[in-house]
Amino acid sequence: MRAQSSALTRGLAIGAGLLLTLAACSSGGGGGGGSTQGGSAGLSSCNTQGKANSCNSGTTKPGGTFTYVLEKNIQQWNIQDTNGNTFENGEALEVVLPQVFVPLPDFSVALNKDLVTSATQTSSSPQTLVYKINPKAAWNDGTPITADDFVYYWRTNDGKDCPPPPASDSTQTKGCLPQSTAGYDRIKSVTGSDGGRTVTVVMAKPFSDWKQLFGAGYPLYPAHIAEKISGAKTGDAAHMTAAQMTQGWQYFQKNPPTKYPTAGPYKMTQWVDNDHATYEPDPKWWGATKPSLQRLIFKVISDATQEPIALRNNEVQGIYPQPEVDLVNQVKSIPNVTYNIGNGLQWEHFDLNLHNPVIGKYTALRQAMFTAISIKDIMAKTVAQFDPSVKQLGNHNFVPGQAGYQDLVSATGQGSGDLTKAKKYLTDAKFTGVGSALKTPDGKAVGPFNCRYTTGNQIRQSECQILQSDLANLGIKVTIKPIGAADLGTVLAGHQYDIIVFAWVASPFPTANAQQNWVTGGGGNYGGYSDKTVDKLIAQAVGTTDQTQAAALLNKADKIMVNAAYVLPLYQKPTFLAVQTRFVNMRNNSTNVGPPYNTAEWGLKK
Amino acid sequence: MLAYTVRRILVSIPVLIASTFIVFLVVVNAGDPVANFATSRQPPPSKAAVAAFARHIHANEPAVQRYWNWITGVLHGDWGPSVQPNLDIGHDLFTRFRVTVTLVASAMIIALVLAVIFGVFSALRQYSAADYTITFFGFLFLAMPVFWFAVLLKQAGIWFNEQTGSQFLGTIGEKSPYLPVDTTWNEFTDRIGHLVLPTITLALVSFASWTRYTRASMLEVMGSDYVRLARAKGLRRGTVMVRHALRTALIPLATVTALDVAIILGGAVITETIFQWHGMGEMLVQSASTVDVYRTMAWLLLSAVVVIGFNLVADLLYAVLDPRIRYD
Repeated sequence: MRAQSSALTRGLAIGAGLLLTLAACSSGGGGGGGSTQGGSAGLSSCNTQGKANSCNSGTTKPGGTFTYVLEKNIQQWNIQDTNGNTFENGEALEVVLPQVFVPLPDFSVALNKDLVTSATQTSSSPQTLVYKINPKAAWNDGTPITADDFVYYWRTNDGKDCPPPPASDSTQTKGCLPQSTAGYDRIKSVTGSDGGRTVTVVMAKPFSDWKQLFGAGYPLYPAHIAEKISGAKTGDAAHMTAAQMTQGWQYFQKNPPTKYPTAGPYKMTQWVDNDHATYEPDPKWWGATKPSLQRLIFKVISDATQEPIALRNNEVQGIYPQPEVDLVNQVKSIPNVTYNIGNGLQWEHFDLNLHNPVIGKYTALRQAMFTAISIKDIMAKTVAQFDPSVKQLGNHNFVPGQAGYQDLVSATGQGSGDLTKAKKYLTDAKFTGVGSALKTPDGKAVGPFNCRYTTGNQIRQSECQILQSDLANLGIKVTIKPIGAADLGTVLAGHQYDIIVFAWVASPFPTANAQQNWVTGGGGNYGGYSDKTVDKLIAQAVGTTDQTQAAALLNKADKIMVNAAYVLPLYQKPTFLAVQTRFVNMRNNSTNVGPPYNTAEWGLKK
Repeated sequence: MLAYTVRRILVSIPVLIASTFIVFLVVVNAGDPVANFATSRQPPPSKAAVAAFARHIHANEPAVQRYWNWITGVLHGDWGPSVQPNLDIGHDLFTRFRVTVTLVASAMIIALVLAVIFGVFSALRQYSAADYTITFFGFLFLAMPVFWFAVLLKQAGIWFNEQTGSQFLGTIGEKSPYLPVDTTWNEFTDRIGHLVLPTITLALVSFASWTRYTRASMLEVMGSDYVRLARAKGLRRGTVMVRHALRTALIPLATVTALDVAIILGGAVITETIFQWHGMGEMLVQSASTVDVYRTMAWLLLSAVVVIGFNLVADLLYAVLDPRIRYD
């Protein structure tokens, strides 16, 4: 029954083999073309001093579709709500909703002159802020943007006029849950004049970060829509009841901005859940920069490793994934793509759990541990492989580039890997067994400690391994214990760690962050740090109207925290933007607003 | 056969209840979504928000009570709250099931047709170069990790697009967000272009194993007495192969196919992730990683129903394909 192999069979086999071979070849190398490679022109100049806000600039020509990647689906559309407060939601909404101050790539904030022609602090006691709304500013149904929109924003976010849902409400629909009441809870009044085009905000207590009010990634929603759907009187947000405000709050949670009037350079014309948002230029847009793109699309791709492939296949034209060596190398090989690795507002850090009786009791032990850790080694074996410019971070509240940044850590030797100095801390404090089996002055064994990281995160695993090796030199045994992907919250809130490595997101407005992370009992103070002086200094920083003084107070508090050796900042996490070179004006904005902070400027290169 | 079918369905109800209850207890104890909510946001949510979230997902209630409320709710069309805001679990479940069915159905049909053709061909030409070639590729596809093969295919797709100067083959999603010229034909070809690569990925793995089943089964049948008798009686070879041998040889393949399809319908996790098809596989991954109890249970319930249903189908197919089997 044997038969000879047919020519067809042989041909099929050879063809299939060839296809796979060709595919394998095309995946690694230059991919043909040999034209503009990643990194040249465009975004490559963004890291040059003073260029962050102006790099990749160019004149645009009309037309074109630009598809940008969102890494998560948007389930809830109220960015001001604690459940809707996601990076992707912010990116999608800032295209269509207005905000007063906008964080820029260099971490400064710029006044959005399309919305307000000026925003000034006219008095420091009581602190008084005056916003002059652009006379042309209007929602795209023709309703002018007025003080009423500001009043509605304030009253839904102050935590009092629209309180959280009662305990009996398991549906979470009978109240407002703002992502933060910071600043809004200090406002005494918001009033309109000049036909509602001038907004005067009087603070009951001063608030240093006043520029984050009514914007900074959290834009305004149309109050007249909230009034309409809740049955309140139009233009009278000041007298809306809590129930009415809740109705508006819920409406903006459940409905994408395709359903209500917006006020941006684009209008969202389509939202396909878990897939994409489509934007088209809004003919009613009054702003100075008219969008030139014919269409803007935000496409949901939840697996970052697929983004370079989609970029290469021209299914998307811009990606903003968390960089890794392989991913960066893939993008480098794509022709006609420019990219930028920036240093973001997220920063990696080791935290010690002060609830651990030994770690919490001995400051000298903590100082020695932090001094023995070599951040240079950590960076060399992790992020420096694709970002050679990465540097040790020297502050708990500011990152380089922000006004107020001072390196307060390096001078102490923390993160230097200086073993001699680390050992001296221990011997001076009467520890025994230094370098072999460390014991406290009263004879108790130090460790073994666990170092915890989120499972699957290779970078953090390496960081724990290097820490393990560094602390072994002091005679401290460290075991590495990964955390399940869904268990980070449980581990942090339950203090189930001795040492943990993760990242925090700083903000262009550092006092609010400081309050959460360092003040006794703060929401992000998982390790249980408590220092009355630090609490007092941070409270003063929040309450001052002078931002220079606020920064000085935060740095004063930071010096105390550095000495306490509770959290060791490692480095700013790199961010990564890659776009096709035929488009211009996209920039790596590493703040909470992301690259879409200036979508009106995006367009095809002329 | 009707009585048998009804009996099997009735027996499956306690199986469903027991399996969902056990899994519910496991999932409830798999993590703490409230702690995740409290720590995964910047700025951290207020205590009131955390308390409201815990109430919303019934985190403070005893597990048995939660299970009872869930199972009775499902009977009334209420699939329970998700940890994701505004997510209607029932809608999400059936939307994703449709996505997965689209992908799996096309892949399975192709795999099945190819498996039968190549399996039979391989059996008829046993030990020939063609048989060895088919066997080689069968084992190659079986051995290849799906995640690697899928990425390779994507690269091949991009190469094809570059060579043809087209955008025919899509690497992400079910269709393009927009079409430059929006016609029914363009939409059809766009969907086909997005279906090709994930379908090949899924189909080749199933094809590989099903070809082996078909070949082995066909060889066994071809060696049986009744086939030899049929040939001895003067029936043509083609008639014997198609009408007598193939029908019997397909019985084990029908069973294996039914069971395999049931499992794949639960989520072709890797294929869906790589090609960004938002189906059941992605739902399972998301639910597990966020300790989304009710969403996980919804996935499990539908998957369990599908598995039980296809098991029944496999058993019934026996009776249809093999006249010796009768269910009373």
